[in-house]
Amino acid sequence: RFSSRRRRRREPAAEGSPPGDRGSMRCQQVAMQYFARSTELEELRSETLSVPQQITSLQLWEEIVKIHPRLVVIWDQVVFAVQQAYVLLGDQLLVLQSGDEVAIIPPISGG
Amino acid sequence: LCLGTMRNNFEGKKVIHFMYEVYTSVAETEIKKICRDVRQKWPSVKHIAVHHRLGVVPITEASVIIAVSSPHRAESLEAVMYCINTLKASVPIWKK
Repeated sequence: RFSSRRRRRREPAAEGSPPGDRGSMRCQQVAMQYFARSTELEELRSETLSVPQQITSLQLWEEIVKIHPRLVVIWDQVVFAVQQAYVLLGDQLLVLQSGDEVAIIPPISGG
Repeated sequence: LCLGTMRNNFEGKKVIHFMYEVYTSVAETEIKKICRDVRQKWPSVKHIAVHHRLGVVPITEASVIIAVSSPHRAESLEAVMYCINTLKASVPIWKK
C-alpha cells in the first residue's frame, strides 16, 4: 500500500542553476517529523529543515543523513510520508513547498 | 469482530505493557481508505468500526478492535480479516 505519490507540476529550474543533479538550487523549509526508531536514534521528534525544492526521495534521505548520521542504520527499512502520502526511497521526484510535512516512517507495528 | 490482545513476550523479552505511537493524520487517512476498500469489495457490509488504543496498553488488554456487520457472516469475516491485515501493513502505528 506504499504507493508512489503523484508528481506535482514541475517548476522551471532557476536561471543559472547547473544541469546536473543535486536537485533544484532553490531551498524550501520543510517540517520534518520523526517516529519510532528514527526518534530513538537521533532523540528528535520534529524540526524544520532547509532542502532543495526539487529533489528525488533518495537524495532527500541523503540530505537528512548528512545532518543526522545515526539514521543511516535504518536506510533500508524506512519510507517517507510527504504531505501525508507514502513515498519510497528512490528516483521519485519531489517538488517541495515551504511548510510541506515530511515524515520518516520506520517499519510499522500496529494491530 | 477482531480483538487484538498482546502476548506477554516480544523479541525474547518478558513484556508488562506496550507503548503505542501514531502518526495521526496519515493513520486516519489510511483507516478511512481501508473502510472505503471494504465497502467496495463487500457491498453488503453494513457498519464498520476500527479502534486502536494509543499510549500505554498493559498486556492481556486489547490494543485493537475491528467490528464489521453484514446480513451474512461470510462477508463480515472476510472484511474483518482484510481490515486487520491491511491495518498492520499500512497504518502508521508503532509499538514499543
